Amino acid sequence: MKRAWQITCISFVALSVCTILLSFEYPYKDRLGPGPAFFPIWLGVITGALALALFFQTTRGKSVTDAATKLLPDRRGIWRIIVILFALLACLTLLQPLGFRISLFLFLLFLPPALGADNWRGALIFAIAGSFGIFHVFYHWLKVPLPIGIFGL
Amino acid sequence: MDALQYWIQGFAVATLPMNLLYALIGCVLGTLIGVLPGLGPAAGTAILIPVTFSLDPIGGIIMLTAIYYGAMYGGTITSVLVNVPGEAASVITCLDGYQMAKQGRAGPALGIAAIGSFIGGTFATFALMVVSLPLATFALRFGPPEVFALLMVGLSLVTGLSGRSLLAALIMTGFGLLLSMIGMDPVRGAPRFTFGIPPLYDGIGFIPVVMGLFGIGEILLSMEAPIIEVIRTKLTDLMPAREEWRVSSGAICRGTVIGFFLGLIPGIGAIIPTFLAYVVEKKVSKHPEKFGAGVIEGVASPETANNAYANGAMIPLLTLGIPGSPTLAVLMGAFIIHGLTPGPFLFQERPDVVWGLIASMYLGNVILLVLNLPLVGLWAKLLEIRFQFLYPGILLFCILGAYSLNQSVFDVGVMIAFGVLGYIFRKIDWPLAPTVLALILGPMMERALRTSLEMSAGDLSILVTRPISAVLIIIAAIVLLTPGVRLLGKKAGKDEGG
Repeated sequence: MKRAWQITCISFVALSVCTILLSFEYPYKDRLGPGPAFFPIWLGVITGALALALFFQTTRGKSVTDAATKLLPDRRGIWRIIVILFALLACLTLLQPLGFRISLFLFLLFLPPALGADNWRGALIFAIAGSFGIFHVFYHWLKVPLPIGIFGL
Repeated sequence: MDALQYWIQGFAVATLPMNLLYALIGCVLGTLIGVLPGLGPAAGTAILIPVTFSLDPIGGIIMLTAIYYGAMYGGTITSVLVNVPGEAASVITCLDGYQMAKQGRAGPALGIAAIGSFIGGTFATFALMVVSLPLATFALRFGPPEVFALLMVGLSLVTGLSGRSLLAALIMTGFGLLLSMIGMDPVRGAPRFTFGIPPLYDGIGFIPVVMGLFGIGEILLSMEAPIIEVIRTKLTDLMPAREEWRVSSGAICRGTVIGFFLGLIPGIGAIIPTFLAYVVEKKVSKHPEKFGAGVIEGVASPETANNAYANGAMIPLLTLGIPGSPTLAVLMGAFIIHGLTPGPFLFQERPDVVWGLIASMYLGNVILLVLNLPLVGLWAKLLEIRFQFLYPGILLFCILGAYSLNQSVFDVGVMIAFGVLGYIFRKIDWPLAPTVLALILGPMMERALRTSLEMSAGDLSILVTRPISAVLIIIAAIVLLTPGVRLLGKKAGKDEGG
């Protein structure tokens, strides 16, 4: 846990430094008062300083970093998380080209069995209802615009 | 118009058949969100915003607000039957509620929770009706320095009461504020940190961030140990026995007062009122040793406080435009999407929306009571849905919700990215609520600070020389620096999602 906190603190220091450096592209003040760089520069300085302070506090073992929770899940847990992230990223990639119905159909057809469901028929019904059914409700009834892909679906 | 006329106008709006229907649908969906583990009220409300796109602003806001307080009801069911809180505020209910279920008394536990929630919610709504107009009128005196100081109070409360480490909470606040810098400069209107990416011109979408942090993040965390076992119990006798009524009545009164008053403080979150209500109940009890073994007061008091808080917390949102929790921040985002800005001007510009909403909250509390008691068995059935189908279903609505806000795949990507971040931050026990509130309040805060400095020709003392802003700045400093206040946050445990 201590290492995780340290890495997070360093990441925030890096983010703060980047923010400050990028802020120099904008005016700090103008004729009317503080410019667009004013707030991000000070925010970057304060956040970076806090992250640095927490880093040193953690390194010295003074902050609350007890390892009450296990940082990494077991192998099956990791697998399930990877499966979900893969499915989400695949859906993200396919959403525009294939449209809502097909991409979500594939998403819902893949995910339950990949997470351990052995009911293929149920997964198929679930996928059809969740993609084509939900599309119908939201697109036609609730007038929510959803992507239509290259196959017109 | 005086207050009475506003109330009458509000009820006239709320009792329109379509608005009643929206309140009913909102209550059902809210209860569903509360019941389903892995979907907290913040993410749940965010996901359902697209459902209201085709509605008029009043109908949309009535439905989303009903989802918000409906989720507070629904969370109890999983706490009692599964020992898994449907939303963070129901954590404490697990202690005695689950024990009651194991003893075959799930019915009275759920019954008293529904009745207590009704009483707490109704009282808080009545108080909201009485207090909101004078408070909104007072808030009209606020200039940019006062607005900045008020936002400082809100953020310092969220920060000071979040998680175990004040530094970590402050960093997370800074992170949210940094994210809010992306997009158009709120004062000059020029693009900033957009890197030539068109979707970033509108900034990082607040709703996809909430869905990611609280929806996807929660699901990823649930994936580590997703198996849920439901207690099988008869749910026929929902009404508590006479003796249980007797001991619960005091608990409900105390829970109402605690929940309502803590709801007035922006940023306090829903966990602390329930936690405090439970502790107070244990203190005043003649048999404190029985708490945790299944006493009905241990359910009645926190559940009442939970709903009194939920309704009371609408006061800072509606009158000052300050959301007190991530869920209320989502609600504020929904107001903005519907072309309404919560705050004192809303009372002047759209009294029909404000008073219609408040009146609908009364009716919503009645709907929830009627809906929950007979339908508890049906809600309990939902808990038997296997996680292999439940979580993909929730993810489907996350994708749909994130995409449909701006018809942007980029927003879906933002949601997934923040889902991963939410998972990581939960794992290392860093609070998420400060980031969310800072993200939504950031532009307002920057605008107020920079306008203040323009007014004073760059002199920061303007923040402490005006009486109201000076008092507010002192309050913010006290909140951050007082160990007693921070201890309350630590005791409340982990970060909340609502």
